[in-house]
Amino acid sequence: MQSDWIVILPHLFLAGGGLLIFCIGAFWKNRPDGTLFITALLSAGAAAVEALAFSGSGTPFAGMVSGDSFSRFFIALFCGISVITLLFSRRYALHRRFSGDEFYGLILFATLGMALAAGATHWAILFLGVELLSISLYILIAIHKSSQAANEAGIKYFIMGSAASAILLFGIAILYASTGEMGIVESLNAPDSRNPLFLLGLGMVITGFGFKISLVPFHLWTPDVYQGAPAPVAGFLSTGSKIAMVAALLRIVTGASPPVWEVIAPVIWTLAALTIIVGNLTALVQDHIKRLLAYSSIAQMGYLLMALLASRGDGAGASAVIFYSVIYAFMDLGAFGAVSLVSLGEPMARADRDSLTAYRGLGYEYPFAGALLAVSLLSLAGLPPTGGFIGKFALFQAAIGADYMAIAVIGIIGAIISIYYYIKVIAVLYMRPTRVPTPHTFPGFSGPVACASIFALIVLMGILPGSLLEVIAVILS
Amino acid sequence: MIPLLLSAIIFLPLFGGLIVLAFSRYPDRCRWISLGITGADLFLVANLLVQFIQNPGAITVDLLWIETFGIRYALALDGISLLLILLTAFLTLLCVLVSWRSITKRVAAFHFFLLLSQTGVIGLFLATDLFLFYLFWELQVIPLFFLIGIWGHSDRVHAAIKFFIFSITGSLLMLIALIGVVMIHKSQTGEVSFSIYALNTTLLTAKTEGWLYAAFLLAFAIKIPLFPVHTWLPDAHTEAPTAGSVILAGLLLKTGMYGLFRIGFPLFPGAAHNSASVLLILGFIGLFYGAWIALAQQDMKRLVAYSSISHMGLMVIGLALWNRYTLSGSILQMINHGLVTSALFILVGMIDERIGSRQMEKAGGLWRKMPLLSGFFLLFAMASVGLPGLNNFVGEILILAGAFKTRPWVGALGFVGIVFTLVYTLRLIQEVLFGEPKTDDPYPDLSLRETAILGAIAIVVIFIGLHPDPLLNLLEGPVGELLGGTKNLLTLQGY
Repeated sequence: MQSDWIVILPHLFLAGGGLLIFCIGAFWKNRPDGTLFITALLSAGAAAVEALAFSGSGTPFAGMVSGDSFSRFFIALFCGISVITLLFSRRYALHRRFSGDEFYGLILFATLGMALAAGATHWAILFLGVELLSISLYILIAIHKSSQAANEAGIKYFIMGSAASAILLFGIAILYASTGEMGIVESLNAPDSRNPLFLLGLGMVITGFGFKISLVPFHLWTPDVYQGAPAPVAGFLSTGSKIAMVAALLRIVTGASPPVWEVIAPVIWTLAALTIIVGNLTALVQDHIKRLLAYSSIAQMGYLLMALLASRGDGAGASAVIFYSVIYAFMDLGAFGAVSLVSLGEPMARADRDSLTAYRGLGYEYPFAGALLAVSLLSLAGLPPTGGFIGKFALFQAAIGADYMAIAVIGIIGAIISIYYYIKVIAVLYMRPTRVPTPHTFPGFSGPVACASIFALIVLMGILPGSLLEVIAVILS
Repeated sequence: MIPLLLSAIIFLPLFGGLIVLAFSRYPDRCRWISLGITGADLFLVANLLVQFIQNPGAITVDLLWIETFGIRYALALDGISLLLILLTAFLTLLCVLVSWRSITKRVAAFHFFLLLSQTGVIGLFLATDLFLFYLFWELQVIPLFFLIGIWGHSDRVHAAIKFFIFSITGSLLMLIALIGVVMIHKSQTGEVSFSIYALNTTLLTAKTEGWLYAAFLLAFAIKIPLFPVHTWLPDAHTEAPTAGSVILAGLLLKTGMYGLFRIGFPLFPGAAHNSASVLLILGFIGLFYGAWIALAQQDMKRLVAYSSISHMGLMVIGLALWNRYTLSGSILQMINHGLVTSALFILVGMIDERIGSRQMEKAGGLWRKMPLLSGFFLLFAMASVGLPGLNNFVGEILILAGAFKTRPWVGALGFVGIVFTLVYTLRLIQEVLFGEPKTDDPYPDLSLRETAILGAIAIVVIFIGLHPDPLLNLLEGPVGELLGGTKNLLTLQGY
């Protein structure tokens, strides 16, 4: 029983940190500036260290949550994502006056939700994680109260998200009804895979996942929400919450019995193809950077789904999915982080610097943030020498290796289309005349630190991806 | 020691470029550092040349890079690669000199991208691991995109994006095919390898081979560029700064040819054989069409760009015939074309700097105003049409002689094509150098720096024209290996 608690120590750090922040916010009014920020950083850091350092095992609490290295790896990744988000949002939140306890506490709770969703072996825990994550995000998206766009985005995400949660929950209930199992893997090894009730439940679960990962045709909320949300939160939303769901999906894909997989595979294939095609084509016509990034992130999920198809078998697919998730987290955070850094100087009333015309010549106005945005976009486009290149390569290799040639060709055509909109932004950054420069605001220290570390990670993963790949191989073995 | 030298030659420019970035506030220091770096790289390559001549034999490097994917950091040096990296180092050095006065804004970034493209191209010419090759293949595109898009002329952004999209489209399709080959190889042997030597042995069905080869061919054809995927080239050249044009014409186009004979043909001999007649036809279309369109140009730079397409057409014809003479001729012609076309682009750039226009109608009578510049112009124009005693003659005669040996009609038609070259080049000379001067403005003749640039190229051009033996000796071994390594292709071709 005692060991059960040790296994979920990272979760406890996150939950404890969140609660502590709320207490500090409520009872320590004249605290030094930055207390909440430091507390949040330390909690996330401690959870990450705990997750990496202690090789836990077993499935505590009657097999409801997994303590295996797979979920520990993802906990560390989510903590990394939240640390980067915290660093990017420090100044940003100060300027927009939402750096209260609710912001920092909710970031930690959302991270906890991701950790639960990725580590769940029981449908109830999965749902708990997804809900914790979603509810935190509803508030985080609308946290900039004076921004009308943010409020609208929050409500939109709330309505869409709660519908999706309801569908997911109902699907889980039906799965339980038809199989009598609440364990994720157990229920997916149902003897009768053609039972209509079972199929209905499965379909609803996948629909719920589709909403949360924003797969086409469940993606329509994404661009509006990303555009309205504060840039650091949008980055957090597009990386953390999606990767948590992908991790959970990975468990479902690898755990399903062959007959069940025969049912799921064509669905995932279709979703992947649609997501790649629609995501990339729609991104082409966007003239606002956050909407463009939203569609780009939709398309990126399509590539992940493509490799997810190949995740059964020799592990090349699963390894590629995990590897690309890590890379994707950093490059997408980098892109949104850059947007938040250059939006610091925008007047209070306005939202982020968003229209592409406002990015003309920005590479010279903000050399470092501009370079971060450019490198992140090059990486998202899958060009060397960035991590995105190795990651895309891994995804396509997995898909082709598992004989999914058609989807790989669709994927590569999508990638070719995507080159245009990524390169268009880079051209705007460096090749168009500068607009009238806005006065620079002091970016603080946290933003540049995040900027530099993401930059280093993207390049490092492009040149020496070996060690990360070996770690992933260990996780999967 | 020598293996280390190979890596040093590849990565010295990259590190130099990063150093240059640190000096972004001091444009002059950037120029001098870049000059030093490219000079040092040329010196290293020359050093390598000396060692290679004394002690011939393939020099290889083979280190594990990404174990999970079976990717190795594998390089090999033979005569072909050596000549091409020599050309690369030489031309990049000239690029730094050419841009000395003409690039005045964002100098550090300019030299960074210039040096980065040098790393990309040299790495590509040395890589024997297909993944590594592919990495350098894509890497070389990025710096040129910035070179054109930031330092180019009025419509530069459009040209840069067009260039980028064309290049990446080809390379991504090639990536799919590349992974396909590797996976088929894995299913046959059980090991994942990207080594060109291992993949050569993969057995493919005719249909699969055809598809995979088509993807590779498309990527290479876009770079060469072959008709009908050549349309990015004139735009890119017209908008690029002079150094960008030199890199593009002198180096990037060569990577397409290099990929075709080094990877495309050996990897897919059967499909390559089937494509030979298509390549011949496309080569001829390029040869004649390029020349024809060049004849209609008013813009000197566009004219030289189309002449490039025409010359590349002849080289592709040489490849498609795939025998000892035509192959040596084509490879030698890659070097020659790199030198002569670069020189012409540099000259057009210099004329543009003086008279403020590249339109032929604005120039005229330069012979009297700038005798030195005009002398060089005449020399390189003559080299371009293949005047005996200058370098292009050697390459072209090899291709034509080899063609006459096996397919006389190809040789005859090729000869006609070269005559076409004469027509537009003579028109260029006539309008620019002779004729009536359009203005009375005096123009300064070449400065010492400019004379040094053109003089250096001129020496090499005349040297190769008079005494091509050392180069041909370097090519002999590797060409034999290429032919020997594709025995089935040879038998199919009827030798």
